[in-house]
Amino acid sequence: MSNSLQFKGYALTGKLTYSSASSVHRLTKRRFADLSNWSDLKVIEFKPKNFQPEDIEIAITHCGVCGSDLHTLKQGWGESKLPLIAGHEIVGTVMRVGDKVTEFKPGDRVGVGAQIGACLSCKRCNANYENYCPKQIDTYNAEYPDGVVTQGGYATAIRAHERFVFAIPDNLESRHAASMLCAGLTVFSPLTTNGAGPGKTVGVIGIGGLGHYAVLFAKALGAEVYAFTHDASKVKDIKQMGADHVINTSEQKDFAKGLSGEFDIIISTLDSYSPQTPLADFLSMLVVHGKFITVGLPDANNPLPPIHPFDLMSSGALLGGSHIGSKKECVEMLQLAAKKGVKPWIEELPMKEVGKALRGLGDNKVRYRYVLTQDLV
Amino acid sequence: MPSKTVVLKGYAMTDPSKWNDLKVIEFKPKTFAADDVEVAITHCGVCGSDVHTLTQGWGESKLPLVVGHEIVGTVARVGDKVTEFKIGDRVGVGAQRGSCLECRECKDDYENYCPQSINTYDAEYPDGVVAQGGYSTAIRAQERFVFPIPDEIESRDAASMMCAGLTVYSPLKTHGVGPGKSVGIMGIGGLGHYAILWAKAMGAEVYAFTHDDSKMEDIKKMGADHIVDTGKKDFHKDLARKLDVLLSTRDMFGDKTSLDHYLSMLYVHGVFVTVGLPDADDPLPSIHAFDLVPTGCLLGGSKIGSKKECLEMLELARSKGIKPWIEELPMSQAGKALQDLKDNKVRYRYVLTQDIA
Repeated sequence: MSNSLQFKGYALTGKLTYSSASSVHRLTKRRFADLSNWSDLKVIEFKPKNFQPEDIEIAITHCGVCGSDLHTLKQGWGESKLPLIAGHEIVGTVMRVGDKVTEFKPGDRVGVGAQIGACLSCKRCNANYENYCPKQIDTYNAEYPDGVVTQGGYATAIRAHERFVFAIPDNLESRHAASMLCAGLTVFSPLTTNGAGPGKTVGVIGIGGLGHYAVLFAKALGAEVYAFTHDASKVKDIKQMGADHVINTSEQKDFAKGLSGEFDIIISTLDSYSPQTPLADFLSMLVVHGKFITVGLPDANNPLPPIHPFDLMSSGALLGGSHIGSKKECVEMLQLAAKKGVKPWIEELPMKEVGKALRGLGDNKVRYRYVLTQDLV
Repeated sequence: MPSKTVVLKGYAMTDPSKWNDLKVIEFKPKTFAADDVEVAITHCGVCGSDVHTLTQGWGESKLPLVVGHEIVGTVARVGDKVTEFKIGDRVGVGAQRGSCLECRECKDDYENYCPQSINTYDAEYPDGVVAQGGYSTAIRAQERFVFPIPDEIESRDAASMMCAGLTVYSPLKTHGVGPGKSVGIMGIGGLGHYAILWAKAMGAEVYAFTHDDSKMEDIKKMGADHIVDTGKKDFHKDLARKLDVLLSTRDMFGDKTSLDHYLSMLYVHGVFVTVGLPDADDPLPSIHAFDLVPTGCLLGGSKIGSKKECLEMLELARSKGIKPWIEELPMSQAGKALQDLKDNKVRYRYVLTQDIA
């Protein structure tokens, strides 16, 4: 029985304008725009997904603010569909379930992350790699096959296929669970995929929303953790998060020297690169066949610094990417968080202050994740 | 044991402006140590490394310099601590001739990654003696870096396995190439042709990528299941997300290559490994995090291989009767071989035979 939820959300509306400086992404050929009003979001009503038998309708109580929201609203990743409601770290209450849903019932506390659809029949979907499905659908700024545009969690409600809805353990608060659904999962997946655990040494570069989760989860998994930051104001917090070592890369310029060949895994959350980014130094710190995994996604015109095969050869190292995580990994992560009492460092704001949160994230003021609470209902 | 005084002679570069004009010189051998093996050289393969080093593409090299690190010969002398070899054994030496043997890497059978690894040529021992390579009469190497050649493998065939063969065998093995796996090989030269031979022998399905029409018949005979012409536009599209491993032997990139096309051919957590080492001023083509994230793929490097892997490789070659495609020349023609390698004329590896009196 549906309680006739109204679908409303904080959206970027209007038309995009382009300056002469706007460039074209070399692969997607998408233009991206100059937007000074990117964080001025207005409440609109929107058309939700057409309800399917496998769907769950959720009344949203919390939504985290992710770097993805920033990149998408600012058009840094390419032209977005307007109007656009961002937000993909969603927690809420199940209001209605389709006939084929088996896992949830109304009243359950659940979450939705950065992915909301996939084909569910390909080799990858069947191998618990639905986050790598070529037909995967993003929670916002994407389109269902029937043409309905996906709108995100800065809203009153969302409809999602059961495969992309996660049960929140009872002893995990909603406000803490919210940002685990993208930030947490996006680092948890490469940590477990690459064997983070007792006896392993993990480096985390960039201690923001994702980076702080990498520290918390790598510790919870039993690894030894080095955190790399250029921000002296974060060092004390990072120690409290449990990092075994904190390295300030702006003070210790030759940090890599004493750490050559130490790391099994390095997770990089850097979402912008400059010619000064010491990528070769980071690679030199890996063990033989160690892995440097970037989860940070810079703007489309910001590639990685140049890499020479010499940089990769000296340890037979591997440099890779990772995309969110699967439901299987998400469930593992939430259970680990509940079991070990992992709590993120969040700042809560009512949803109407989303613009303030977005700008605060953009200016790197957040410590360490904003979580918005529902205020439209 | 009284030592036989060996006068080492080799074809050396003395003037970098004439990089492949090699002249016979005498040179001081490594100071003989208790764990050393002295090898009287019969054959030496010609490797791309020789070209990159002599042309100064990898940086300033020592002078005079004798290159060559695909060496086969017979044991002429062994140190007191040597247990694996005796005089007369047929052995090989590759691109590495020493390491510390004590660090974590050396103990983990990763001696090829030892931070104190000593290259076979253009390196220096702690006592100051310059390491000279295999375009010469003999070489002294630490036992760990000397490999027994199985009786069934001829010396001229074994020679180029010591670097080219091992350098591709190691990443193929490390990244799980075997039955059920799809492997792409980019660039079918010395290393690339070995990669086809090994990957087939390991049971994988093999895609060979080349821009060179003249090689396609040969590549079929080497056993590649599919040949992809990289000159064709959109060659990568039909192979999207197909490959578990893509091994690149390309040793130059320039501005025009787009790595994202190659990365798009990888399956989830697939691996692109480059063994090709371009000149120092020729980095990989620019990549964006977007090229890595949609498949969670990895881009890696690899350095030669370990003794453990070398012995496995030789056993694979022996048991399956694998022979490389080589062209033999007397060692005095090393200069010609080097130029022809640089001009991509070789089909598919030059092997020099000892001719210094």
